[in-house]
Amino acid sequence: MTNHDATLEWPDGRSRTIEVREDETILEAAERNDIGLPFGCRTGACGTCTGRLLEGAADDALAHRRRPRALKDRHLADGYVLLCLASPRADCRIAVGSSVHTELVDNPWK
Amino acid sequence: MSDASTSGDVEPGHDHEHHHEGPGYATPQAAIEESEREQLAYVMSLYVGTDVDAPDFVAVVDLDPDSETYCEIVDRVEMPERGDELHHFGWNACSSSCHVDGLERRHLIVPGQRSSRIHVLDAADRRNPELETVIEPEDVFEYDLSAPHTVHCIPDGQILISMLGDADGELPGGFLELNEDFEIEGRWEPPGEIEMNYDYWYQPRQNVMVSTEWAAPKTYYPGFDLEDVEAGNYGRKIHFWDWEDGTVEQTIDLGEEGQIPLEVRFLHTPESTHGFVGTALSSNMFHFFYDVDADEYRAEKVIDFEAREHEDWDMPVPGLTTDILISMDDRYLFGSNWLHGDVWMYDVSDPSNPRRADSLSVGGTFGEVQEVRGRELAGGPQMLQLSLDGERLYWTTSLFSSWDDQFYPEEAERGSVMLKADVDPRTGTMELDEDFLVDWGDCPAGPARAHEIRWPDGDCTSDVWQ
Ligand code: FES
Repeated sequence: MTNHDATLEWPDGRSRTIEVREDETILEAAERNDIGLPFGCRTGACGTCTGRLLEGAADDALAHRRRPRALKDRHLADGYVLLCLASPRADCRIAVGSSVHTELVDNPWK
Repeated sequence: MSDASTSGDVEPGHDHEHHHEGPGYATPQAAIEESEREQLAYVMSLYVGTDVDAPDFVAVVDLDPDSETYCEIVDRVEMPERGDELHHFGWNACSSSCHVDGLERRHLIVPGQRSSRIHVLDAADRRNPELETVIEPEDVFEYDLSAPHTVHCIPDGQILISMLGDADGELPGGFLELNEDFEIEGRWEPPGEIEMNYDYWYQPRQNVMVSTEWAAPKTYYPGFDLEDVEAGNYGRKIHFWDWEDGTVEQTIDLGEEGQIPLEVRFLHTPESTHGFVGTALSSNMFHFFYDVDADEYRAEKVIDFEAREHEDWDMPVPGLTTDILISMDDRYLFGSNWLHGDVWMYDVSDPSNPRRADSLSVGGTFGEVQEVRGRELAGGPQMLQLSLDGERLYWTTSLFSSWDDQFYPEEAERGSVMLKADVDPRTGTMELDEDFLVDWGDCPAGPARAHEIRWPDGDCTSDVWQ
């Protein structure tokens, strides 16, 4: 099984690089390394686990196990990924933490 | 009277024939007269979606003004896993089972809205509830359901939970039934009766249930997106069910003025066919009732909360009427306009013509009071709970973690609060209790959000009479 390095970067500048197997998700690998990432449904519906790929095309670096329903096309095009479904296909850098999820939608009245 | 001391005595004013031997109170009036003042509250408390790496918990709040720990969280029951988004919850038994000998209002059914994990807490020791059983999400998904919401007991000791999505977080939702041993019994209704689901309330003596609509979990989970409103992804219908058969008899489309019908309540009087539903996005209140001549239910808009201009916002801001409740004597309808920052009270003695009684402007976008006991508020009034005697109204400030983040991002940093107003039911007035504040900003693992509130011995938003 191939492993890849995933570098997780938080908004406060903290970062951690972990090894992720191609058959596990970023969220699973983080948990294996005792790193707490936000999540909710684990089925791709809630978006709580959203991360953002910091370089490279999302399709090349990460593969979603199934359709990431919580992300709209515009989000996918902008490099957002669901860490409960995403497994690495190459080394990657990903913005993580709860604030990534809050970027997906804004206050429609403001 | 508490359930722990429930005896086999026939209660005064008991208006049906069997003896009152089970949990709760024989009638709504008995609940008012025989209940003691609430000493404790259970409150859903959550960390899901924040960077606080801790599980959600059930907070036990001390509400006894004579206690040294008044207004404090005196116990926290942590869930076994993270990521639940505890939201709404309920008892294994309520006054609808007051005839069932041996049944106790003892277990709290606490679902995770995002995880679909269902927890059962044993609250025999009211101050120290304990986790008893957990139903794992995979077991729920087997019935092609997810996103558990409203929990009511059914009169024979079983438990019914409204489920907002299918196993993939898409439509349709449905209802999951648990048996007395807290095992999944199966789906309650034949699948396919409804598409969207949210809250429900039943009136067994009328053989009717009413259910409302939010949206598919995948639609509302990530946050509120106007595109979804335009695409028709949010609900605006209410459904009337044959309670015995579990089938939909009638659906009413509330139209543009009824967008996102959330909390729904029948009057407590078991004979009544009147009720109210709050539509959050349109910010209107609908009265529904059974029209005998037409032999069907009708719904009419009876309260309209106007959107308000705000100098920093591009468009008029809707009130977002997210929660409502009816006092135990069926006289007052209370509600919260989460975005505006209002708690309001209407006299509904004549349910087709509600009369505004009073309101409080606190928190939210426009609230006149923006801090209590020196603590800045970070959200608007949201989930409400009223004392059984109708004299104390409490509320919390979090709606749903991802929606909070859009409208009140400070809530994640400061946490929620629980506030209280003293209500005078005789004059129909409310006054903010400036000394009362429970602060979730001080929780040990970090600031938490607070959502639904329940009393140990029955409350205005869960008890039903058969
Ligand atoms: S945890 Fe819900 S989408 Fe990943």
